[in-house]
Amino acid sequence: MGSGRRIMIGAAPDEADVWQALVAEHGTPLLVFDPAVLERQYHRLSNALPGVELHYAVKAHPNEHIVRTLDALGCGFDVASAGEMDLLMDLKISGRRTIHTHPIKKDREIRDALRFGATTFVVDNLDELAKLVPYRERIGILLRISFRSESATVDLSRKFGCAIGEVAGIVAAAGKLGLHIKGLSFHAGSQCEHAGQHVEAIARCRQLMVDIGKSTSVPLSTLDIGGGFPADYRLTGIDIDAWCGPLRKALADLPGDWHLLAEPGRYLVAPSVTSITTVTGKSERHGVTWYYLDDGIYGSYSGQIFDHTVYPLQILKTGETRRSILAGPTCDSIDIIAEDVQLPELGIGDLVIGHQMGAYTAATKTRFNSLPDARLVCRESPS
Amino acid sequence: MKHFKETLYDSLYQEFRIDKLYFESRTDHQHLMIFHNARLGRVMTLDGIVQTTEADEFIYHEMMSHVPLLAHGQVRHVLIIGGGDGAMLREVLHHPVAQVTQVEIDQAVIEMARQYLPNHSAGAYDDPRLQLIIADGMNFVRDTDDRFDVIICDSTDPIGPGEVLFSEDFYAQAKRCLAPGGILVTQNGVPFLQPDELNTTAQRMGPHFIDSSFYCAPVPTYYGGHMAFGWGTDNRTLRHVELPVLQARFEKSGLQTRYYNPAIHQAAFALPQYMLESLAGRD
Ligand SMILES: Cc1ncc(COP(=O)(O)O)c(C=O)c1O
Repeated sequence: MGSGRRIMIGAAPDEADVWQALVAEHGTPLLVFDPAVLERQYHRLSNALPGVELHYAVKAHPNEHIVRTLDALGCGFDVASAGEMDLLMDLKISGRRTIHTHPIKKDREIRDALRFGATTFVVDNLDELAKLVPYRERIGILLRISFRSESATVDLSRKFGCAIGEVAGIVAAAGKLGLHIKGLSFHAGSQCEHAGQHVEAIARCRQLMVDIGKSTSVPLSTLDIGGGFPADYRLTGIDIDAWCGPLRKALADLPGDWHLLAEPGRYLVAPSVTSITTVTGKSERHGVTWYYLDDGIYGSYSGQIFDHTVYPLQILKTGETRRSILAGPTCDSIDIIAEDVQLPELGIGDLVIGHQMGAYTAATKTRFNSLPDARLVCRESPS
Repeated sequence: MKHFKETLYDSLYQEFRIDKLYFESRTDHQHLMIFHNARLGRVMTLDGIVQTTEADEFIYHEMMSHVPLLAHGQVRHVLIIGGGDGAMLREVLHHPVAQVTQVEIDQAVIEMARQYLPNHSAGAYDDPRLQLIIADGMNFVRDTDDRFDVIICDSTDPIGPGEVLFSEDFYAQAKRCLAPGGILVTQNGVPFLQPDELNTTAQRMGPHFIDSSFYCAPVPTYYGGHMAFGWGTDNRTLRHVELPVLQARFEKSGLQTRYYNPAIHQAAFALPQYMLESLAGRD
């Protein structure tokens, strides 16, 4: 992600009132989910990728309000664990629109997925293929291929995905086992600056699928282009329609009867959640002002470690700025949200707002120091 | 949700409109629904799979009860495993049996079915010939000292709560509980789309019976053509009872049926060529 953290000083009075009112009602630490923003993101991405069935990557933020909002829009789901399926099942969401995308599974997990109703599974090697043989009458398989994106913040093709050269062999082996490989999937990485790697991957997959289709009786006809659609952490106004332009062009070259899927996580949810944390203590040390907040790296800001992301921050006050450090509530010295930033002087009880905090934030929080979780509250949609 | 979309297969599915949702529960990794569909009447689904509908349940229940009972001819004691909706019990009680033992794992299923699928049991749970036991069917056949002339295994699908009822151990224990000349029948899926299930059952059941085979009936909402029923007994002649004998027994019974008749009974043991070939190819 590089350096460039955006810090906004000051807020319009009505904007500040909204945050203050939420804090008065719910306290902090708080995560505020705005369904209208999620709906907007979903529509933007669907419009930018016509003909592609979106499956929200539940791992990005496994939260019931988020899942419910997307379900109501007709969005599908990408799950990677029994726990994620439980969340959907608790909300009585059918497995029909769900795909299971973890390449490595226990038998129990496969059975749970089938009982939930997910019938699409992802594999990337022969051992994993063999595990699916007992269920071959019920399932369809996507073979995951490794393509690395130079521009992605998070590499997702190192740990999973077979090499292009292995594809034909695995498809043939599957045929012998009576398993149906219905297509290919890839994950170019997360937070991709541009769609270059997606475009190249689509072209390679197209070639592979067409070639294999010629030599087998069962054509490959599903292509899952994964995630990687970027969130706007620098608040520069990413135009997702423009970002997807080259991708659309690549997809237009595919046969019209292929099934196209994507597994977006970050792009959909990142802007729909805002973190609010309170200054609970301060201290002046070596000419720098330290502010201790009630949420941090072990909580909602865990994405700064695990997801290599820095989030735009906002202070509601204005005034002369000074060198400051924003630190989290735990006793660990790594628990620092922002080092060496210029902020107006804050008082105890002042709020620090974190924007674009919907993806891979609460999802990776820990229980360190047994501190309370940030509560997620849902803003009413102005209907 | 306004539609039920079955999740049994990846590449095809049947979809039913939900005209009225009567009941939905999601407990213990299990998702159960009962709803009304204009064409099918009340429909019960479990984990995304159709279990029974009012419109076509008669085919399944008549064929799983009347075929073994009339083939046997002198049934006194019947064991039903599963069948919480009560329709199997209803059909069995139409015969002059002395006692029916039903072993259902979940009392809640019975309560729920009596309330929301009342036409299935149609009062059968009040019959004094019923001995209802809430227990795991596998444990019951392992432990009981009772002997049965017919055992009907009215299970759910092999992935899910009914899993053990498809195990070799279950077939062995069920065999142990049969009186001499007794018959075990089992629900065995739709072989056109589930040939593995047919072959697996043949392999696991075969060693425990002198005569083990299948018979068929098409149940429309068990999508995919014929449904297969497993048949296991040590009396080879029971699969080939003469038509006049069946006819006489059927008339004597006074049964009112909508699918079953003696000619259908006989014909049901003739398996389509694709099933025979699938079974032959298994070793
Ligand atoms: C298999 C898979 N699909 C989808 C996603 C979501 O990616 P993104 O949040 O970049 O859209 C991930 C992220 O880790 C993933 O591993």
